[in-house]
Amino acid sequence: MEILEQFRNLISVENKFIKGWKHQNKPVLGYACSYTPEEIIYAGEILPIRVLGSLEPPKLADVYLPVNVCSFAKCCFDEALKGEYRLLDGYVVSNSCDNQNKIYDLWRHCTAINKTYFINTPHSSTENAIKFFYEELERFKEWLTKEFDVEISEENLKDAIGIFNENRRLLKSVYELRKRSPPLVSGSEALEIVLSSMMIPKDEHNKLLRVLLEENEKREDLPEKGVRLLVSGSVMGNSELFRLIESVRGCVVADDLCTGSRYFWNLVRENGDSTMAIAERYLCKIPCPFMYSSEERFKHVREMVKLFDVEGVLIFSLKSCDVHSFDAPLLAEELRENEGLPVSCLEWEHSLSGIAQLRTRIEAFIEMLEE
Amino acid sequence: MSERRLETLRGFYRNYVKPFYEVAHKAREEGKLVAWVASTFPVEIILAMDIIPVWPESYASLCAARRVSVPLCELAERKGFSKDLCSYPRCVLGSLFDGENLPEGGIPRPDILVASTCACDTHLKWFQVASRIFKKPFLLLDVPYNVESANAENLPDYYIQHYVSQLEDLISLLEKHSGIGLDEGKLRKTLELSSRASELWLKIQDYRKKVPAPMGAREAFSAVYFILCIPGTEQAVDFYERLCAELEQMVKQGIGVVEDEKYRLVWDNLPLWFDLQMFPYLRSLGAVVVAETFSHVWTGSLDPSKPYESLARKHLSNMSNCAIEGRIELIAGLVRDFRANGVILPTNWGCRMMTIGETVVKKKVQEMTGVSSLILDVDSTDWRNYDEYRVKTKLETYLKTLT
Repeated sequence: MEILEQFRNLISVENKFIKGWKHQNKPVLGYACSYTPEEIIYAGEILPIRVLGSLEPPKLADVYLPVNVCSFAKCCFDEALKGEYRLLDGYVVSNSCDNQNKIYDLWRHCTAINKTYFINTPHSSTENAIKFFYEELERFKEWLTKEFDVEISEENLKDAIGIFNENRRLLKSVYELRKRSPPLVSGSEALEIVLSSMMIPKDEHNKLLRVLLEENEKREDLPEKGVRLLVSGSVMGNSELFRLIESVRGCVVADDLCTGSRYFWNLVRENGDSTMAIAERYLCKIPCPFMYSSEERFKHVREMVKLFDVEGVLIFSLKSCDVHSFDAPLLAEELRENEGLPVSCLEWEHSLSGIAQLRTRIEAFIEMLEE
Repeated sequence: MSERRLETLRGFYRNYVKPFYEVAHKAREEGKLVAWVASTFPVEIILAMDIIPVWPESYASLCAARRVSVPLCELAERKGFSKDLCSYPRCVLGSLFDGENLPEGGIPRPDILVASTCACDTHLKWFQVASRIFKKPFLLLDVPYNVESANAENLPDYYIQHYVSQLEDLISLLEKHSGIGLDEGKLRKTLELSSRASELWLKIQDYRKKVPAPMGAREAFSAVYFILCIPGTEQAVDFYERLCAELEQMVKQGIGVVEDEKYRLVWDNLPLWFDLQMFPYLRSLGAVVVAETFSHVWTGSLDPSKPYESLARKHLSNMSNCAIEGRIELIAGLVRDFRANGVILPTNWGCRMMTIGETVVKKKVQEMTGVSSLILDVDSTDWRNYDEYRVKTKLETYLKTLT
């Protein structure tokens, strides 16, 4: 379907919406982590876009960074050094992991982007943490207002929340299509749809999603049937790995990724103070593993497994991603022992170096499931 | 070149480390509450509540010094924990999975685990995993990352407030689990002792500014134990007083730890626990480590009239919790104050906090002080990739470039 291609083409910092936005002299802000409260940025008529790196192996970043560093964070930094993010008017990081935090130091020292901001995201969702995060978001709002000369009113925030929640509901409807067999959208297509939502104004994305949901009813070129898999991991900035899985008869029907379901699963409360509602949503969403407890995430995976009729789970840890690497054996054990599910834990590099070996292991896992 | 040993540190392991594990094991048997504590947690609270603290990080370094850490890391790796994770948790988690012949009868098991987010993700994740293994509660202090300033006086109020209110909640939980109320008087006393130990530790460092320096890294990485693990105790104050007295004598007599001191070095991050002979080897080349960043991140004066607030300020401004400027300023300051002519920056394979940005640290420190640094790709606990010959050659070559 043509609309699916449109989504794929939007996953680029050069896409037409970003260019159009810039053309209206409105700022674009890059962000590093799904804990960035995008609604606040958007409410100031600033376009938040996710920095997603590329498939190219880092070159310039190697001057600053050794090999034992998250290849995703390194890749994004490399792209910044190369000037690929020259369109960005600023860059925002959340206090989410050591890799990101420390590479943020390098962004400040070594890249041409001069407006940078660090959001101190707490690692827990207690009442204290939410109160603190609220203060932190108020401060972030002040920074945005001052640096970009914009206004962020309560009314603007309410509108932004409405648009973002609508996007989340629509994305959930897209995921619903994957419950069928064969699914009505493939894993790689679904990932591209979610990724594209981070790269354009959300109201525009909502329009595209409505078209997709309508057209999809008549879809004829359905994705291949295959072994129904859930993919768990951190960030996937493109759909190459999913395509690889699909090329060996895997059918990714669900995910637990920060660029997948964890990005949009939870809504923001639409009554009461907006900033407080945003603070609550981000701290109480399906947690990334840098948070105090991983139990809610594991529960989310177990629920997804049931909802999407999953036959096997692939857990991908980016090499040197500490927080996911600590969780991987625990999640695997829980799924194997409590759910009786086959699980394979794999380490990978964002640039997909060592892809042949990865393909062999994924294929062997799928073959085992086919038997 | 002959090397002088410090009297105060003689029998350190036998006198201080070993008894510590004996006490903790015995406490377990007697049903006292044992807590696993991560290094950036305000341990004064634990000490004031008579809870027995155990430091998994310390245990990992002990296993490395006893050369048993690698088989333990391998046990954890077999359970699926990545080789790229910090070797401390790999070693300690490994020891929980059928580790045999463990030093000091193994790490005492916890009834409760406490950590803060102050130093790194690893503390949180490691303790989370251990809490799952032991099925014991894990309490976390969520510490805002200090992006703006390493100055304890200059922190936003709501950072302090966040730390303090969490500490209050955490103390109630500890009271609930231990059945022991926190005695305010005892906390005040613990903070006073901690401050005193901190002052003495800084005084000890001051002696090392003298030329020749009366103490090196080998001693410092042992003696730091008190300020790191049991700062709020009479034992810490007593030990440091004795060490001060000895150093004062040495300085008066102009005795250095190395007879012919040629190079004065700053050592960043951790030592190679499995090869502590590295320091005597450096001394044989006339090089003495006069300061470690590790010796300068655990101190801080505490105001017993504002116990929680001063603990908050101390930990929020810990260099490990700060942006890279904190580390650069610390190292450059040490180079100047200790009249160092070289800096060793050992990486630690699984440590993102210290590995990332090392090239910037090297560059900035050189700009600020004119002193060059040597980056060593090593690991503190896991020696599988360690090539002693290569590291020594690098060090020798580096020393020759120093003036």
